[in-house]
Amino acid sequence: MYNLILEQGLEWEEEVGCKLIISVASGKGGTGKTTIATNLALSAGYCQLMDYDVEAPNASFFLNPDIKHVKKVTIKHPYFLKETGADFSKCAEFCNYNAVAVVKSEVVFFPELCHGCGGCLLVGPEGAVREKDVIVGEVEKGYADPGINFFKGNLKPGSMRTVSIQSELDKSLEKSGLVIIDCPPGNACSMVFAVKDSDYSILVTEPTPYGLNDLLISIEVLKNMNIPYGVIINRDGIGNDEVENYCKRNNIKILLKIPNDKEIAKFYSRGETLIEYDKSWKSKFESILKEIEKEIGR
Amino acid sequence: MEQRWEESDDICKNSHSCLVIIYNLFYWEVDMKIAISSSGTSLDSNVDPRFGRCQYYIIYDTNTDSFEYVDNESRQAMGGAGIQASQFLVNKNIEAVISGNIGPNSYRVLSAASIKIYSGVTGTVKDAVEKFKKDELKGTSAPDVQSHFGAGSGMGRGGRL
Repeated sequence: MYNLILEQGLEWEEEVGCKLIISVASGKGGTGKTTIATNLALSAGYCQLMDYDVEAPNASFFLNPDIKHVKKVTIKHPYFLKETGADFSKCAEFCNYNAVAVVKSEVVFFPELCHGCGGCLLVGPEGAVREKDVIVGEVEKGYADPGINFFKGNLKPGSMRTVSIQSELDKSLEKSGLVIIDCPPGNACSMVFAVKDSDYSILVTEPTPYGLNDLLISIEVLKNMNIPYGVIINRDGIGNDEVENYCKRNNIKILLKIPNDKEIAKFYSRGETLIEYDKSWKSKFESILKEIEKEIGR
Repeated sequence: MEQRWEESDDICKNSHSCLVIIYNLFYWEVDMKIAISSSGTSLDSNVDPRFGRCQYYIIYDTNTDSFEYVDNESRQAMGGAGIQASQFLVNKNIEAVISGNIGPNSYRVLSAASIKIYSGVTGTVKDAVEKFKKDELKGTSAPDVQSHFGAGSGMGRGGRL
């Protein structure tokens, strides 16, 4: 990769210069990531929206994209040729995810734990371990009004290979323009993967002890990854002031507050956005985009 | 002369290996190591209801009535703790496992190694061993909890994996 950058030098720098990736994340689930991501996308008009929450992709309900391409995502699972009588215990020792156990010359394989790293082939008896493709989900590509390039991933029910789907989505990340990433909830692997390329991260939270607790973990993650961030408080008016006080004490920018409004909830439940609810939200989201651009110097 | 020496040596070897086989046969009947998931390091500790993520395993030798405890390192595994723990116990030549609950993954590994499984056991480790010796424990023929039963609290996981 580094060599490639050296070779292409200037060109690469130019590309980075006009690209802005904003990820919308949240430690606590159900705080409004998708609401923020879709409204930002609609306010921007021309952008790419990536739904990285492949376990429960729901951005499409609000944007109603026209899906043009669907691509299956596969990973490789090992299978063990037991009739060779080879000793597979090295595979069990090697596997970090405990997907293989070897007991009394019997190989027990747990497909749901296998990450498809291919280690079995490397450390196992030569020729006695083979690989086969296993479908873990699919990625979809489409277009939504007014000018949104829409991408989403669907994890196959029962599969746990979230990051495999996200890696496939990663290949479609645009190299210029505005990219908005709707992250999965939580602060574990899939969230880290979704925010890793972002220039800025918006943390959506609600003003409750749960919201604050999970916000603090998200902040810890982003600090570690050197990603600048700001906070949006959704359902403002419930809970307490702890989130706001914390942000003020630590000089964290509160980009927006969305009131706890039953009307907004009604619109949401019908798959409609804040902008459709009240046109004045559009300018609020536009100013958030401007603020972010200013903060990271674009 | 040399020839005779070799012959006698062979006889000697054979009789020795015979003895070894007899010895093994004898001890195969009585020598049995069982593993009990335990919350502590002594026989007075309670049987840990979790199999894969218990604190310790008490490995009890019913032949010598001696025991040792081992720290369960699989407890910290991100996933597949039961599988790792089962593999560990299989490598230790355990022949029976006693625990509070056994999940489907552990069950698959243990039964592949034809290890006897006794679950649903509560009380102290000592009681469990006594019951086992008196043959009062009922063997389990199916896993009794779902995966991740013991992975609940203290794992520090945020939301979904």
